[in-house]
Amino acid sequence: MAVTAVHQFAQCITCHAWSPDQSMVAFCPNNNEVHIYKLVEDKWEKVYVLQKHDQVISGIDWSRRSNRIVTASHDRNSYVWNLEGSEWVPTLVILRLNRAALCVQWSPKENKFAVGSGAKTVCICYYEQENNWWVSKLIRKRHDSSVTSVSWHPDNILLATTSTDGKCRVFSTFIKGVDAKDSKKGTSSDSKFGEMIVQLDLSSSWTFGVKWSPSGNTLAYVGHNSMIYFVDDVGPSPLAQNVVLRDLPLRDVLFVSERKVIGVGFDCNPMVFAADERGIWSFVRSLGEQKALSSGSRYGSQFSEAFGKFYGQSKHGVSNDAVEASRTRGIAHENCINCIMPLGDRGTLIRRFSTSGLDGRIVVWDLENEQDLLE
Amino acid sequence: MAGAEGGVEADNTNAIITRIEHKSRKIETLLKQYKPVEALKTALEGTYAILVGDERCKTAHWLVVHRAIMAIKDVDGMLSSLDPEYHDILMKYLYRGLATGDRPTCDHFLRIHEKLTEKAGLGCILRYLTDTVNIV
Repeated sequence: MAVTAVHQFAQCITCHAWSPDQSMVAFCPNNNEVHIYKLVEDKWEKVYVLQKHDQVISGIDWSRRSNRIVTASHDRNSYVWNLEGSEWVPTLVILRLNRAALCVQWSPKENKFAVGSGAKTVCICYYEQENNWWVSKLIRKRHDSSVTSVSWHPDNILLATTSTDGKCRVFSTFIKGVDAKDSKKGTSSDSKFGEMIVQLDLSSSWTFGVKWSPSGNTLAYVGHNSMIYFVDDVGPSPLAQNVVLRDLPLRDVLFVSERKVIGVGFDCNPMVFAADERGIWSFVRSLGEQKALSSGSRYGSQFSEAFGKFYGQSKHGVSNDAVEASRTRGIAHENCINCIMPLGDRGTLIRRFSTSGLDGRIVVWDLENEQDLLE
Repeated sequence: MAGAEGGVEADNTNAIITRIEHKSRKIETLLKQYKPVEALKTALEGTYAILVGDERCKTAHWLVVHRAIMAIKDVDGMLSSLDPEYHDILMKYLYRGLATGDRPTCDHFLRIHEKLTEKAGLGCILRYLTDTVNIV
């Protein structure tokens, strides 16, 4: 089985992130704190609690090289946490938002981070040495609704966003004095800060979970209409594909290689998508397939009951089968998965990853045992 | 904008109405030949091009699709020969039918809804719920 470990850390987890050596995991248990657990003699122990935010924390990212944690919260602020001695010292980042911050990610070079917000803006934050201060620069008037997810291109300049206005956009975040003009002249370093490179209008509903492929050639994001979108050659003439899902919509995606994507969401089981040699993306299978097929009732009990009422028939009713099915909605998760993080060395091929969701679990998956999914 | 393009839009609407009338005649012929599945396929074909029209087009087209769906007796047979690409649009029309509150329509459409959900999954319903552009 692909599941290697299941940890019930809390009632509900909004997001999680791993320390650079992956000996520690930080997550928000659906409140204003970040809990950090460490593996001590085969047991996970709570080692730090980061308390500074006033409201629910919606995003955590732990930088790999500089070992800094950035958090974003509904209280409209971000903090950058530095480990000094045995204490995590927070630095407030004034984002200048009038709505909640919804997601956050360090740039690949870790000299900037991006925050998406409910104020229809994206904040690009960078450190100003002379003032000893994180400065937030806003990309305004580009989004028509909340920014649900942000993702950095490997070039450290381009940023992709998804929004509840149904669009996916790519911006340049070039900041003078922070980003050096590339001598090789990539197209991205020519653009000014906040310039929109492309706007993808593929979905008629909310979009979530945007990610770049390891090389930065392909973009993947999901729609709340149970669709996943793949975009090649992001630029003036992008090549877009969509894959229609049979089941409930996804919330987040992860590229495990250039041609393979794991999607997680309301279906509770991670789904695998792959591109064939012609570059056509398709659904391969769900990582929890065995269970899903064996259970007689195909929907969890909340669905069965609702459908039973809808159709006015007893066979969908509260039979034991339906209750059983509800307990095993996913093979490892029992509720919506809203966060997926890569594990292992940073490379183009990811074998292991972790997921967290509304059921308060963090699950570690390994594709090594899934022979058909290895290239 | 409305003044200048009003004429063009009216032309467009008339063209769509003509197409729907043509479709309707074709469906009647197919139904007479006892080919209800073919008739339904004809009804659902090219729906997205018709949905760009105004309310009058949508209603006219709905009546045609309704006629074709009501003629379906063998639901399983129909679903097994219907291309998956038509599942989403069929689901949208099923909901439109259920919204009418008309007893015979609802009885029939609910039966198809159950079978279609089994075949096409919950994603199909989600796409009906979230689509704000192609409203049937």
